[in-house]
Amino acid sequence: MRLVPLLFYAAAAAAYAGHFAWRDARVGRLATALLGGGLLAHTFLIGVQTVQAGHAPLVGTTAAISAFVWLLGLAYLYVELTSDERSMGVFVAVLLVGLGIIPALDSEVSRRPPVLQSPLFTIHVMAMLFAYASFALAGVLGLTYVLMFNEIKAKHLGFFYTRLPSLRVLDVMNGRAVAVGWVFLTAGVLVGGIWATQVQNSPDPRAQAMSLGDPKILVAVICWVLYSFALYARRAIGWSGRRAAWLSAIGFVVVLLNFVPVGYFFTRSHNF
Amino acid sequence: MTMRLFAVGLSHRTAPIELRERVDFARAGVPAALEGLAARNVARELAVLSTCNRAEVYVAADADHAVEELFAFFADYHGLPAAEIAPHLYVHHGADVARHLFRVAAGLDSLVVGEPQILGQVKAAYTLASDARFTGTVLNRLFHVAFAAGKRVRAETGLGEGAVSVSYAAIALAKKIFGDLSGLRVLIVGSGEMAKLTGTHLRAQKVREITIASRTREAAERLAAQVGAEVVDWTGMPGAIERADILVTATGAPSAILSRADIARAMKPRRERALFIIDIAVPRDVEPDAGAIEEVFLYNIDDLQGIVKENLARRTAELDRADAIIAAETAKFAAWLQSREIIPTVVALRERFESIRRAELQRLQPKLSSLPPEAQEQVDYITRLIVQKLLLAPTEQLKAVSDNSLAATYSDALNRLFSLPSPEPAEDGEPATDPRTRS
Repeated sequence: MRLVPLLFYAAAAAAYAGHFAWRDARVGRLATALLGGGLLAHTFLIGVQTVQAGHAPLVGTTAAISAFVWLLGLAYLYVELTSDERSMGVFVAVLLVGLGIIPALDSEVSRRPPVLQSPLFTIHVMAMLFAYASFALAGVLGLTYVLMFNEIKAKHLGFFYTRLPSLRVLDVMNGRAVAVGWVFLTAGVLVGGIWATQVQNSPDPRAQAMSLGDPKILVAVICWVLYSFALYARRAIGWSGRRAAWLSAIGFVVVLLNFVPVGYFFTRSHNF
Repeated sequence: MTMRLFAVGLSHRTAPIELRERVDFARAGVPAALEGLAARNVARELAVLSTCNRAEVYVAADADHAVEELFAFFADYHGLPAAEIAPHLYVHHGADVARHLFRVAAGLDSLVVGEPQILGQVKAAYTLASDARFTGTVLNRLFHVAFAAGKRVRAETGLGEGAVSVSYAAIALAKKIFGDLSGLRVLIVGSGEMAKLTGTHLRAQKVREITIASRTREAAERLAAQVGAEVVDWTGMPGAIERADILVTATGAPSAILSRADIARAMKPRRERALFIIDIAVPRDVEPDAGAIEEVFLYNIDDLQGIVKENLARRTAELDRADAIIAAETAKFAAWLQSREIIPTVVALRERFESIRRAELQRLQPKLSSLPPEAQEQVDYITRLIVQKLLLAPTEQLKAVSDNSLAATYSDALNRLFSLPSPEPAEDGEPATDPRTRS
């Protein structure tokens, strides 16, 4: 059962790649349908896990990755359906598959320790994951912007030129994705901070480790600074285009680093 | 004698422009040409396709001499000596007509391979012919398959993609950079023929405003009036560059008029708003290294011509895929055409059986008349059923034959075995309108 969403995502990735290469509208619709199927299966899986555990399956990095994959898929599907633009699909679907492997291999729902029994915890995690999903989209948009920008600049109009929407569209969508992500990241960090002060007196050693000195928290704050700068630069000093694209691509790499290696190996506060 | 499919015509491949100008069915109107052809009484179905690069007549006719009649029609209708026009006319028969029309509809036979207008022109030609009720089963089918084949080639190959003229290459690039062009400001430097051409193209794209700068104010004003633009003084150019999204340079200056520093100065207050410079002047108006500035896209005439050349090459590379689609559609149409050829034999066979049945019933009439009416009806019903069942399998087999010579052999054998009369031309399914008996 837990493999079903991954299989759908993998099939969707293949279909999106086929659509990108051949630009056949039927393959594109198939890709969207497969992604939709994967998201439905994933929703069902999360529902089952919620019923089994008695709480939302958000405890631990693996569960968070699963929820992130689900949110990213939904966010992308929303963008695709509203903009009628499928060319980002292949990049997003590859990300879904790459990250989706982790929860597919190990989907034991962790028991929720007493320290996490607070509505603030759920809000914190969902806000952070939604911010990360937005940043993932912004990163993909930034990456494709740079690829096409370089083609046009070098006067070599090739693969990406014929397949991607205009630079301006990519830039505007990138700006929106960063703005939405920043709002959720800010909310997530604030709620997390409030919640950390509330559990300060908990005997749980992880609650004790909630400080800026913990790598997971430190890198999250670095992300916040980075995206705040990206927002400021776009609005105040006119950093759009290639520089904004690079910023969002780099920002997402930092997000990914914080999510997977830091989440699994380095943090002392977020290892539930 | 079965119905035959023919096409006769000339195009840019076979006739020089001087001749194409004189062989133009559109001049007096295609309906008049259709009437003129119908008056010759050679064809049961006809259509005329007339574009600036081709003049073609498609007919379904009973007579083999239709081709000579069509040659004569081409000459007489345009008042040209037959000997002058005949060497430039090509003729297609049967399934080759389909292959040819499918290629035409897909843009494969066009002067600029893959150009999209031709499909609409083929549709218009068909509509004119069918509205005037000159088409029937064969041409209806032929043209509808042609539309589908044209659409398939467009959808499944890259044949129609990529701009194949310098102006369209520039506009396609602008769209790839800015998306929608309607909010953009354009500055054109120069007032010559190239400046005018580009201005007209951009105006057609509904850009927000066009400004023209030229060393001579009168020339700028003249051009501005023609394309609907503003004029800016030569000295006001730096400010105008700063405002512009697209800069077109097309002066006849002997050396570059805009240096990298000029462009860099104009870029500074713009922050990162992109500037697309189209330098179509020879020698170039803008120093080439201005293209290295961030957010400046500089294309000169050679770059644009390079893109056009690449696009043309890419279209050529798609030809094989397009031809495969055409071949598949032609094969399907040929099979259908073939199945029609056997129809007269099928009809004759059916009529033969039916006449035997009637004759026998007639002969037995004295004996049958003593039966009650219901029983008589039953006899009629049962005999009809027997005839139908006997003919069912052979009819299906005959219609499924796709091999030309095999069909002829079957047809011949049936004619001999059942001593069938020489069949009349096919009339099946949708009624084929005979133009000669139109109301």
